[in-house]
Amino acid sequence: MGEVALLEINGLQTSIDDTEILHGINLKIMPGEIHAVMGRNGSGKSTTANVLMGHPDYEVTGGTIHLDGKDLLEMEAHERARSGIFLSFQYPQAVPGLQVGNFLRRSVAAVRGEEAAKGAEFRSTLKEGMNRLDLDRSFLSRYVNDGFSGGEKKRFEILQMMLLKPRLAILDETDSGLDIDGIRTVAEGIDAAIRGTTSGALIITHYNRILEHVKPDYVHVLINGCIVKSGGPELASELEERGYDWVESDAE
Amino acid sequence: MNTSYSENSDTDRAAHIWRYTPWKKAHPTGKISQIPSADSPILSLSMSDGSEVPTGIRVEEATTDDLLRLGHDLDFGDGTAAPTFIAEIVPLIYVLRVDAKTITEAPVILSVKTSGSTCACRLLLDICERVEIELVTVLEGDAEWCGFLREGSFGQASIVNDVVVHVTGKRLLRCDSIRSNRDAQIRAGTVNAASSQAKVDVRHWLPEPGASLQVNGSILAARKDHLDSHVEILHSGKQTFSRLEWHTACGGQSVTTGTGMLRIDAGAKGGDAGQLFHNLLLSDKAKANSIPELEVMENEVVGCGHGTANGPLDEYQMFYLKARGFDEEQARAALIAAFLNAPLSNMGSETLHGWLINRIESHLSGL
Repeated sequence: MGEVALLEINGLQTSIDDTEILHGINLKIMPGEIHAVMGRNGSGKSTTANVLMGHPDYEVTGGTIHLDGKDLLEMEAHERARSGIFLSFQYPQAVPGLQVGNFLRRSVAAVRGEEAAKGAEFRSTLKEGMNRLDLDRSFLSRYVNDGFSGGEKKRFEILQMMLLKPRLAILDETDSGLDIDGIRTVAEGIDAAIRGTTSGALIITHYNRILEHVKPDYVHVLINGCIVKSGGPELASELEERGYDWVESDAE
Repeated sequence: MNTSYSENSDTDRAAHIWRYTPWKKAHPTGKISQIPSADSPILSLSMSDGSEVPTGIRVEEATTDDLLRLGHDLDFGDGTAAPTFIAEIVPLIYVLRVDAKTITEAPVILSVKTSGSTCACRLLLDICERVEIELVTVLEGDAEWCGFLREGSFGQASIVNDVVVHVTGKRLLRCDSIRSNRDAQIRAGTVNAASSQAKVDVRHWLPEPGASLQVNGSILAARKDHLDSHVEILHSGKQTFSRLEWHTACGGQSVTTGTGMLRIDAGAKGGDAGQLFHNLLLSDKAKANSIPELEVMENEVVGCGHGTANGPLDEYQMFYLKARGFDEEQARAALIAAFLNAPLSNMGSETLHGWLINRIESHLSGL
């Protein structure tokens, strides 16, 4: 028997308010692979990310999604998180009144178990992650995403990823709004969490910049809710140079 | 105005202050002409860290001189019945003295332990100039009905975080009339964790220049609780500042009311006042009323604003927490705690904040 795919999406169709957004997506990510999905605004990239995480606004009208062979569509959002799905949000929610330190501990306890959320290992991973992402210790007593700058929000998402140690990290435009140093810092965080493990990542982005730092194994182009082209990392460079029109023409 | 109870007992049901909780309902027997005898609560002082209470801080029976010096005339306008009633039934009047320049590291805890069918306390605050303390007054015990009247002043240039915590399980009537003197920096908090029926009327007066006041409320209403809070801030001095932020989490079949009145007197130039009421509705049967009001009689003010926001738990915040592994119940509990925690953290230091969280945490499960 062959190796079980980390993520396998077959014929995924999704609607919101009776409008179909995804028209049959197929995608397979094997353990240890990093994939990138690129596409224009409105092509369905964020919808794909949200559907994988189980956002209640989206209705799956067809197809299947399996994570490590388990049916993801049967699971609630928190069960997906506990099974190893992590979504780095494009627009992370602020939760005034909930302190970062408390939130991280409870989140790790929920996803990886109570033992993982206490003791020296948790503290050292937290310290290492904060150092790597250039986050000050005072960050822990702030409220979740409340008053954070754009860069702080994105770095905080990556810190969560490093602590939660997901099977599959979905990064929804984590590079948007970041300066050059911020992109490098975030890319190092992604590398540290995924490279050399059996986990995988799905990076959703408009630009090639972050992919220059995190070399993906595969790049897919999403147009109008369908993956119309797949290739190696060179595809991202080609898209950066030529735009999306040629892919659209080819697909037609 | 005559400030005896007999002259003010016949309240106007249409008056704003009695619209949501008529005086009859706040009165211990419901018969407004009755003046029942009341027990006195037991008052005790301690420090949150277990250390000895500094000699500059003490609570004792008030003298006639204290009453003349610190007592207010209890003219609450249409609401005068409540403070005059408490003043009339209290067996004893206490004074909390904090000597000038007293500074404490840990919060000072004043326990007001109530018991019996009717229990009442009148407390005069004698907080002198340049004091820097955090004071937590805990209304606790099992009295069927508790009346609590506070009057007095925060001295010139004092820095005081003053929090009143309601954990009496039954009915509460509380009236505050507090003056903040020149350049005083006051954070005044109210935490309702367990009182099932409360009528609270808090009045702050900023008569001298430079006084700054932040009033925060963190109100937990569950079951069939009926909680009615009125906060009034009067700016009479120049360059005075106030902010009122009131968070109420309403579960079960509770009914809550928050009314705020910010007044800027003529001549109070440079006044800056704002108020915001937030209500978190946690069940279809819970009701929340918020009525922020302003009266600005001076043209040269920095600003004067008000607002109110009501709604259920935010579905996007819920999804964010679920995406981090919180199940429905955990996400809900975390968001309710966060909602109530935001004003709690504005009430004082991290130490005070931690103490408050420990004190009310067990009551959150009631939601």
